[in-house]
Amino acid sequence: MSLGLSLPDARARFPALIVVEAEPLEEARLLRRLCDWCSRYTPLAALDGRDGLMLDISGVAHLFEGEAALIEDCRARLSAQGISVVIGAASNPRAASALARFSRVRTAPEPLSDKAFVKLFHDLSLAALGLDEKIVADMARAGLRRIGDIALRPRAPITARFGAVPMARLDALKGLERSSIAPRFRPPDFCAERQFASPIQTVEAIEVQLRKLADDLVVLLERQAKGARRIELSLYRVDGAMRRIRIGASRPLNEARAIVRLIAERLASPSEDAIDAGYGVDLMRLACLTAEPLAPSEAELERAHEAERARSLAELLDRLSARLGARAVTRRELIDAHLPEQAEAAAPATLGHDAIGFTRRSARRVSSPQSPSNGRPMVGEDQGGGSRWPTQQGSSGTFDNLTSVHDPPPLPAPTRGGGGANVIDAAARQARLRSESRHGEELASWIHEGEASGTPARPLRLFARPEPIEALAEVPDGPPLRFRWRRVVHDVAAIEGPERIAAPWWRHVGAPTRDYFRAEDSEGRRFWLYREGLWGRETMRPKWFVHGLFG
Amino acid sequence: MARLRRAISQIEAEAGPEGERPARRLPFARAFDSALSGGLADDALHEIVPAQPADGAVAMGFALALAARFISRRPASALVIGEGFAAEESGALYGPGLVAHGLPLSRLVFVRAPDAALAFWAIEEALKCGAPAVVVGEIWSLKGYSLAASRRLLLAARKGKVPALLILASAYGQAERLSSAAETRFEIAAAPSATIPAAAGLDLPGPFACGARLIKARLARAGPEAPFQAFDPGRVIHLEWRSQDMTFKDMTFGGMCVDDQAISLPLAAASGDRSRAAARRR
Repeated sequence: MSLGLSLPDARARFPALIVVEAEPLEEARLLRRLCDWCSRYTPLAALDGRDGLMLDISGVAHLFEGEAALIEDCRARLSAQGISVVIGAASNPRAASALARFSRVRTAPEPLSDKAFVKLFHDLSLAALGLDEKIVADMARAGLRRIGDIALRPRAPITARFGAVPMARLDALKGLERSSIAPRFRPPDFCAERQFASPIQTVEAIEVQLRKLADDLVVLLERQAKGARRIELSLYRVDGAMRRIRIGASRPLNEARAIVRLIAERLASPSEDAIDAGYGVDLMRLACLTAEPLAPSEAELERAHEAERARSLAELLDRLSARLGARAVTRRELIDAHLPEQAEAAAPATLGHDAIGFTRRSARRVSSPQSPSNGRPMVGEDQGGGSRWPTQQGSSGTFDNLTSVHDPPPLPAPTRGGGGANVIDAAARQARLRSESRHGEELASWIHEGEASGTPARPLRLFARPEPIEALAEVPDGPPLRFRWRRVVHDVAAIEGPERIAAPWWRHVGAPTRDYFRAEDSEGRRFWLYREGLWGRETMRPKWFVHGLFG
Repeated sequence: MARLRRAISQIEAEAGPEGERPARRLPFARAFDSALSGGLADDALHEIVPAQPADGAVAMGFALALAARFISRRPASALVIGEGFAAEESGALYGPGLVAHGLPLSRLVFVRAPDAALAFWAIEEALKCGAPAVVVGEIWSLKGYSLAASRRLLLAARKGKVPALLILASAYGQAERLSSAAETRFEIAAAPSATIPAAAGLDLPGPFACGARLIKARLARAGPEAPFQAFDPGRVIHLEWRSQDMTFKDMTFGGMCVDDQAISLPLAAASGDRSRAAARRR
């Protein structure tokens, strides 16, 4: 008896046949339910056609003591529910499907040698490739019936006659083509689960386990400094039924107690059915579907204590300043200046937060022009020329307490004349404080932006005096390939730049332009290098310096 | 009245600055959390030692990343205390770079001490007062640093319930020989970052990365936590710092199978009744 046999024929062969009408909708629903149930093995469970399921078990088989044990476990549990299944396992979805549906040997060895592949697959019918019936019939007419028939023949004639699909499917079967499955649910960001040797039946026991699961989940969340916004509790019952309870939180949660309380509230709501443990629950999973960075603690009690702490911090800073000097205990702020050594200012911490103001704000925009020399994307926003420099103004008064952190100028001294830009009038500062704190955030976001990948654009440490290095570059205006710093030779393994920073020409002339590079050497140390002077325009022998370390 | 007093003392014990709350631990990387019985204690001294002379900046980067995590937990300022010579030798900390590393500049206070003795004094004072969220110290000269000095710092940290991260910049290569009272000691080495392919020429450098080795983890103090778990001091864990998410990513195996995401679920379903400690061991 086979699929597609007409009813009279079947009756003729088996007179005692019991006939039941097909119910495609019910079958689809059952399949979906089974798919949900199978998510106990892996979060990546998908429907495969109208009569199959596809589970991605890569990386989970060891949790069930190997693939064979996993398959056995799955088969046993499903047969206990009255469902008999045929399971195939292979290293890609197409092969697994072919083995399950068409082969006697249901598990492909890992890794699969060419010889084993021939043995396993070459005798299977072409329908195992999942081709249309029409193509299979056409190929049968041409004498091609088994997979081996097309695998051993040249590709071009088969593609010319039957289209690209058969050969593409063959490649997928061999694992040469990347194939993926579409899981029914997105895998969660974090999840904790517990399996029980003997199913638990009482609601109290479920609550106890839920609390433990919440503890587990919170540890995972805390490690990533995240909180959960959407949480799902799944209960897998022995009889195959599955229950999902979803809750949402308006702020990221990372307290086990809060999570448990929300789930309890949800169960108490009239629209939700109470938990029915039935014959018992043998697997519980608590998953965080959406995680978000934690907001800083806002508890009122905490804040009250922080006020107290702020007082003792002020006392501490006074004590330190008294002994070490007020200039040794500082707070810093970002300054909107292009020269790196002027981009921050320090003020004695005893003056509090408001000691530093910003220079006049200016519009900054990050663009990514191509460098003329080597086509490498630029990091910063200034491509020579100076047309987009901010309209910075030196201010009238000076503010005594303000000191530039890196006050000694670098060797070529391009910056000294601009010292006035960092200091602003105390009265004007007061008026502008509010808007400028926002400005600080903008600056910070610009620094973060560096590149798409979260790579920092500015180094952790900056030398007060850039240290001269001997650098070897392919072309005079190209990036360095190798450099010697502090008598050690560093081979550049990765590099980004140039970011061109010119001195403020409207205030003084003569300071050479610098081209900054972020370089990583072969051992993984990251440096901020620059070449001083535009080759051919400002100097014929550009000098190289290391200005900072990224760590 | 007595009842109210009791209630207040109970609240203070849970959240108060002087309360007898147990150390909160900061889990930061799965590879280390088990040996640290759940993470870095927030009332202890942690030492960070560069592996080689040139790794000082990487060690600082690792310490600052941990500091960023500690800062994000409490709305308080942090102190960065450095010996003056260290700043001259390997460059001063740079504000824009710190912001890019994930640290809020407005909540940092920088202290520059002329010598190691004064730096230790400043660190101890800061720890004792209990106000900072974290104290980062960078020490160059090891002359004044002994078992007794580190014990003083540890006791100060316990008293103030403030974590201390101490970078011993000149102790490169000595991580295994140092003797101190610190609770943990990491040896940090430079590690190639996850480079980004470029259109032409060499790749672009990626985010901050380092190779971390846990050299020392003292026995966890008495408590409901798991007993001390064996760890392998020879194992180098390759960590990458994602400053935007404030998380470390474990890149030891190319970041594939040891990530904290849910896909691999190691040991999650191994047994039915696991203790709370088992969860922390994961």
